[in-house]
Amino acid sequence: MKIQRTVEEAIVLLRKRLCDPDFIFSLFSDSPDSNYSKLKFIVSSSVTEACNNSILLLGPRGCGKNAVLDLVLEDLLKEYPDMISVIKLNGLLHCDDNCALKEIARQLCIEHELMFSKMASSDDNSQFMIAMLRECGLAHKTVVFVLDEFDLFAQGKQRLLYSLLDAMQSVSSQAVVIGISCRLDADQLLEKRVRSRFSHRKLLFLPPQKDDLQRLLKHILLLPTDSTLPHDYVTDFNSRISNIIADKKFNEIIDKLTDADCTVSNFVRFLFSAVCCIDSKSGYMTLENFKSALSTVQRQPKLDCLKDCSILELYIMVCIRRLEFKEQESYNFNSVMKEYKTIYDSVQNVDNYSRNVCLRVPKSRG
Amino acid sequence: MPSIAAARSSPMPMVNGDVSSPHKRRLRSNSASFDDPVCNTPAKSCSSLKSKSPRRSVNDSPNRSRSNVETGVSLLKLKNSPRKKLLDSILDKPIWNPTDSEQLSVVKEALHVSTAPTMIVCREDEQKRIVEFCKQCVEQEKAGSLYICGCPGTGKSLSMENVKGCLAGWAKETGGQLPDILAINCTSFSNTSEIFNKILEKSKPNKKVNGRSTALKQLQQMYSQKQQSADTKMMLVIADELDYLITKDRVVLHDLFMLTTLPFSKVILIGIANAIDLADRFLPKLQSLNCKPAVVSFRAYSMDQIIMILKQRLMALPYTVFQPQALELCARKVAATSGDMRKALGICRGAIEMLETELRESTCTSTLTSMVRVDHMAIALSRAYKSPIVDTIQSLPQHQQIVLCSVVKLFRKGKKDTTIGELNKFYIDICKSTLIPPVGIMELSCMCRVLGDQGILKLGQSRDDKLRRVTLQVDEADISFALQGIRFFRNCLQ
Repeated sequence: MKIQRTVEEAIVLLRKRLCDPDFIFSLFSDSPDSNYSKLKFIVSSSVTEACNNSILLLGPRGCGKNAVLDLVLEDLLKEYPDMISVIKLNGLLHCDDNCALKEIARQLCIEHELMFSKMASSDDNSQFMIAMLRECGLAHKTVVFVLDEFDLFAQGKQRLLYSLLDAMQSVSSQAVVIGISCRLDADQLLEKRVRSRFSHRKLLFLPPQKDDLQRLLKHILLLPTDSTLPHDYVTDFNSRISNIIADKKFNEIIDKLTDADCTVSNFVRFLFSAVCCIDSKSGYMTLENFKSALSTVQRQPKLDCLKDCSILELYIMVCIRRLEFKEQESYNFNSVMKEYKTIYDSVQNVDNYSRNVCLRVPKSRG
Repeated sequence: MPSIAAARSSPMPMVNGDVSSPHKRRLRSNSASFDDPVCNTPAKSCSSLKSKSPRRSVNDSPNRSRSNVETGVSLLKLKNSPRKKLLDSILDKPIWNPTDSEQLSVVKEALHVSTAPTMIVCREDEQKRIVEFCKQCVEQEKAGSLYICGCPGTGKSLSMENVKGCLAGWAKETGGQLPDILAINCTSFSNTSEIFNKILEKSKPNKKVNGRSTALKQLQQMYSQKQQSADTKMMLVIADELDYLITKDRVVLHDLFMLTTLPFSKVILIGIANAIDLADRFLPKLQSLNCKPAVVSFRAYSMDQIIMILKQRLMALPYTVFQPQALELCARKVAATSGDMRKALGICRGAIEMLETELRESTCTSTLTSMVRVDHMAIALSRAYKSPIVDTIQSLPQHQQIVLCSVVKLFRKGKKDTTIGELNKFYIDICKSTLIPPVGIMELSCMCRVLGDQGILKLGQSRDDKLRRVTLQVDEADISFALQGIRFFRNCLQ
């Protein structure tokens, strides 16, 4: 009973870690060369020196752009309370300029505890935004604009981007514009006058290399020794994990996973299903957990479908395949039956299904 | 704004003030001084670089204390070599200390885009032309139109601020009438004909807008008849980003320029945009009426101009920050690509950050004073101009790289787009040649979608997944370059 509770506690701890992006990406934030430190340096120097800046975060989906940005903003809000206000916009929700201005005005009102009127026109909203930027500049408060899905803001006439970046050209405002996009050519989508106002700074987020993945694995799966779990259970668990990691078969599994998709989010999903497969009776992770997790992540639904087919259906599939080999692009029921007849004639011990039975097959299988 | 007014009254503020922010405010207010007529700055600025002693330049920036002046003068070295005549004044100053945060912030501020420089160099001719045009119109009380064009980052809006100051100074000197100035940015209009509302409001602030006719009609009516009051002032309308007013039928732009052709018009119109031939393409009727706007074109900055502008900004500082070769490298590269001043300033600030990181990481603090060298500038330039494509392709997972490889091979045969089904066949062939087990077609289309999200491929729409069209968005040479490190791909792509 006690063991079961311990195991459950351990599983809950591991799952909590896997669902917390802060925990996962804080591992990569230590080195001074990491994207975390570079981003933090840029935003904090804009805050302390009271100048305007803009930066673009690029990289494939699932590589931690939003997570690292959230980490940076959290740390900076602790370091400089009351000197930063954050406005978040998303290109999927606010790509229309009027909608975006309304959202900016609403978030500014919430930050500064003002009343927001839904009746305000877009002119009023844009003047409000410019006035607020000026006020914040005088009060030495930096406004950080986070534009998620930045490439969607670059559609149409790009009025919002132009007005934001133009406001940053004046001395009276103190703002940082951070664009996040998964398109590598996001800055080529901008009009030339918007691109001229946007600084050339880009931070590239790449999926981790193999040794970084190993570090991440150990960081997540090794249980902490100073937790409420019993000490010998923890040491046993950790030693088993280390043995698995050193196993060659485990490396093959990881290679198979990362050859198709090597982003951090995919890896975390894989680890999550592995953790969920832990047998509560034994209480420790085994190689089998990882194998079953791999098959859950890399599913082949059509293969699963084929496993349930009856023999007749399989025959028909084989006939169609043979027709394909003979370079016939389209086929009807008669050609398939002809092929089936040739198979029956060449190989004697094939089952002979009558034509009427075969007619029923396509209807059931769609 | 009371804080800035207070700053102007005390020209020599406390340097070692505990609060850095009032210090910053003062710097900005002093550098953005529009009252001084600085229009008459001909090539004298060049000679002033040579003849200005460091002492005078120190006094110009009020935030340096007396003590620094003494050390600056004591370190004066008279350089008579003809090669470095122009760089004399730069090298005579002491080298800065990048670990001092105050010096760092001052330098970064001097190089920031939002800091307007005390003197605008390299645009004297263009400013003179604009000011002459305005003066002529005001003196003769005649309406006119001018079109300013140029690439982004060439100093158009900056020069207009200066022109406004010039006109104010001239009006004060000659006792003439200063025209009403209306500066609008056309991006702020949701409806393009609102510009006429603004002009009407400015010219007749007290009159209520007549609901029956539009603002444009009222303006046309007003300017077609002789005004009752004889002292109506001229109105200078500066329309920035004029091409936002271009609609499909180009009516608004036409009407705006036609306002200046009416017999009793009082509007001096200056339009600013990027396109050189805006007047020709969108205003053909004006040519026939013989009132085509004069064109002042702001050409992109050349290498010498960029160096001059950068030096002018750094002139106010009492220490040298950059090695002259570094500035030259930056100017050369920027002039060759776009001639955009904003980019040059951004790259210089990036080079300072490179120096900062170098000092932070290096353990030896023997050289407390070090200038920004050519290698810092080279790293900053490569960061600015590097495309992230090669790095991203190199870090793609293996199967996605194989997909890219098969796309390149397929398109070498002359086709420019293909379907996912055909791509699948090529992909399976390549996988078989190296005994890598290929993934199924569903995973393949998933990978194509991920590559499409990143902008490397472009996927079309189709009901059936297999029939979606695939085109390459990235240059084939980039892919070959990125994958050349791996022998398999090198052989494959030969």
